[in-house]
Amino acid sequence: MSMVDRFSKYHPLVNFLYFTLVIGFSMALNHPLAQGISLICACLYAVQAEGKKAVLFTLKWCLPIMLLTAFMNPAFSHEGITILMYFPTGNPLTLESILYGLSAGVMIATVMLWFLNFNRVITSDKFIYLFGRIIPAMSLVLSMTLRFIPKFKAQMDSVVDAQRSIGRDISQGSLWHRTKIAITVLSIMVTWALENAIETADSMKSRGYGLKGRTAFSIYRFDDRDKMALLYLGFCGFYLLAGMIVTAFGFRYFPSIRYIGLNSVTLSFQFVYLILCLMPVVLNYLEERKWKAIHSKM
Amino acid sequence: MKRFLCILLIIATVLFLSACQGNFGSVNLKDPVQIPEDGVISKSTVAQIKNENTIAVFVGKSGDLRYEWTVFGSDIAQAREINLGVQISKTAEGNIQVTLRQVHAFGFSATLAIYLDEQWDAQSATAYAGNNAFTAVSITGSECTILNLNLDGTVDTFVIHPDPIPQDQTPTHSTEPSVPEASVDSTTAPTKPKEETVPTTAPTEPETETVPMTVATEPEETTEPTKPKETQGKDQYLTDPIPEGKPKPVEPEDQDVDKGKTYTCTFSIECSTILNNLDQLDPDKLEKVPSGGTILAKTTVSFYEGESVFNVLQRVCKEKGIHLESSWTPIYNSAYIEGIHNLYEFDCGALSGWMYRVNGWYPNYGCSRYQLQDGDVVEWRYTCDLGNDVGGKNLF
Repeated sequence: MSMVDRFSKYHPLVNFLYFTLVIGFSMALNHPLAQGISLICACLYAVQAEGKKAVLFTLKWCLPIMLLTAFMNPAFSHEGITILMYFPTGNPLTLESILYGLSAGVMIATVMLWFLNFNRVITSDKFIYLFGRIIPAMSLVLSMTLRFIPKFKAQMDSVVDAQRSIGRDISQGSLWHRTKIAITVLSIMVTWALENAIETADSMKSRGYGLKGRTAFSIYRFDDRDKMALLYLGFCGFYLLAGMIVTAFGFRYFPSIRYIGLNSVTLSFQFVYLILCLMPVVLNYLEERKWKAIHSKM
Repeated sequence: MKRFLCILLIIATVLFLSACQGNFGSVNLKDPVQIPEDGVISKSTVAQIKNENTIAVFVGKSGDLRYEWTVFGSDIAQAREINLGVQISKTAEGNIQVTLRQVHAFGFSATLAIYLDEQWDAQSATAYAGNNAFTAVSITGSECTILNLNLDGTVDTFVIHPDPIPQDQTPTHSTEPSVPEASVDSTTAPTKPKEETVPTTAPTEPETETVPMTVATEPEETTEPTKPKETQGKDQYLTDPIPEGKPKPVEPEDQDVDKGKTYTCTFSIECSTILNNLDQLDPDKLEKVPSGGTILAKTTVSFYEGESVFNVLQRVCKEKGIHLESSWTPIYNSAYIEGIHNLYEFDCGALSGWMYRVNGWYPNYGCSRYQLQDGDVVEWRYTCDLGNDVGGKNLF
């Protein structure tokens, strides 16, 4: 039941600021409650916008990585005061290292999910729009690199097809024969990739990319709703930063687990984090409802 | 817009004010506290140490000598006024005479560190009240000696004497090969062939011309010719020549444990250097610093013949429930002790870590290669200065 992602129609600045805040806090906060909030919101947003594909991604990539980290950490880190058992090497297995591994796993999975959302929302034209003026060379290289792999894949398919039509089929023949053809294809691809990069760069240069006074066409307008969204993000970001400074998210794993207890003040920070992470999901839901309400009247 | 900003500002101010809750009227215990002229520490300060469950350091001066008290909040049962003033003087023989102003018990045990202006040529010391020794003194300090001892205030005048350095280490170790021979029995049979097989394996495998094994049979003759052969006098595991009269390393793969023979040795684990350098300690580890700096007091443990210091350390820690992390280091062919009791290397400065001393000597090889002998005294000590502060100066 994927629906139109209304949040991605906001101004690129809003989108980018949102992801910077959310990804930054996901990496910086290690309080289990905050981590849970971030993970659930990232999942919700991905599923809301992409449906089944996101569920598949989570199960196929995020879950194994999460479990792997949780199991790997206690095998290498033996710090902690709660000794559960001993490894054959004589080093202890500690509760703290298991929990820390879990926390690290959740963090990796969360950031992966947020980047899944980031890649969908921040398209390369939005990226160029945001950074083309400030760091032209860097943003061009970035957007070309991001675009490179899908483009390379598509070009390789067509090269393989073309080679097959002249009798060089990589799916048939002896291993030696197939390797020879595969190497030919690889050589073609490398040549193409280099040439393509130079062509793109030349083409951008001849159009005056990065020159002073050059304007770029864009269809992004900074509306009132963007202003409101920006203020909202600014408030949340400021509030959470203040919370980090006063260590309201304090949580320590080694050598023993110590944390700042939940009271009304620390809960308020967790709540602000929740409403920050939930922002696109709520916006999408509200807009969808509004759209349906208008629809049914006609 | 403006109203919104106003609200934001107000929230921010409230937040910061609530964060800096007033701690007025109490003492900042994070930094060392100067002991006042009369030495009196008020009851409220002692109560604060107890309530914050922190480790407080009090510094004072007696003449030219500086002294430091370390008080653990966890040790204080009931807060009362204490006097931490100390009178330190040197006796004619060069010993240290200490007089406490406190005349009754503290109600808890505190650690006193006395910073001398000279270096003592001693590995440990003992405090004597009158003629009877009442507590052991641990010696630390890189340039000048620091004497560390735990006091409960009941003994108010005592003299600290350095313990004589055991000179008879050489005989105890030169007799070690003869120990199995002396107690000739059917049980010694397996150990004797082990030594005899060495010459036969040496010619076949060139790498096994290890110093320890060849030296173990004929100590005097082989040490001299082998030295120039090896690069810079080091053996295959980068160990410098072992000083005369000290036991040679025995590779873990050559150690066969004879479970039929049980010996005893003493083990102790301590970290009094951390108490001297609390300012450098990772604040998260503060709660793991044991009161008085002793993790394991001198304990007699039994071991089987052929076991290494590492084997016994691992077993002792397991039995006592002390946390221990080690990692096998192939280039030194030994285990490396990363942390004991959750106090790890680098936790107290960049030059900190664990070292071991056997019978007053810091071996220059790993603890898996040190084969224990009956009656050995093993001390695990935490250093904050690459061993200089625990008497292992010549190692690096």
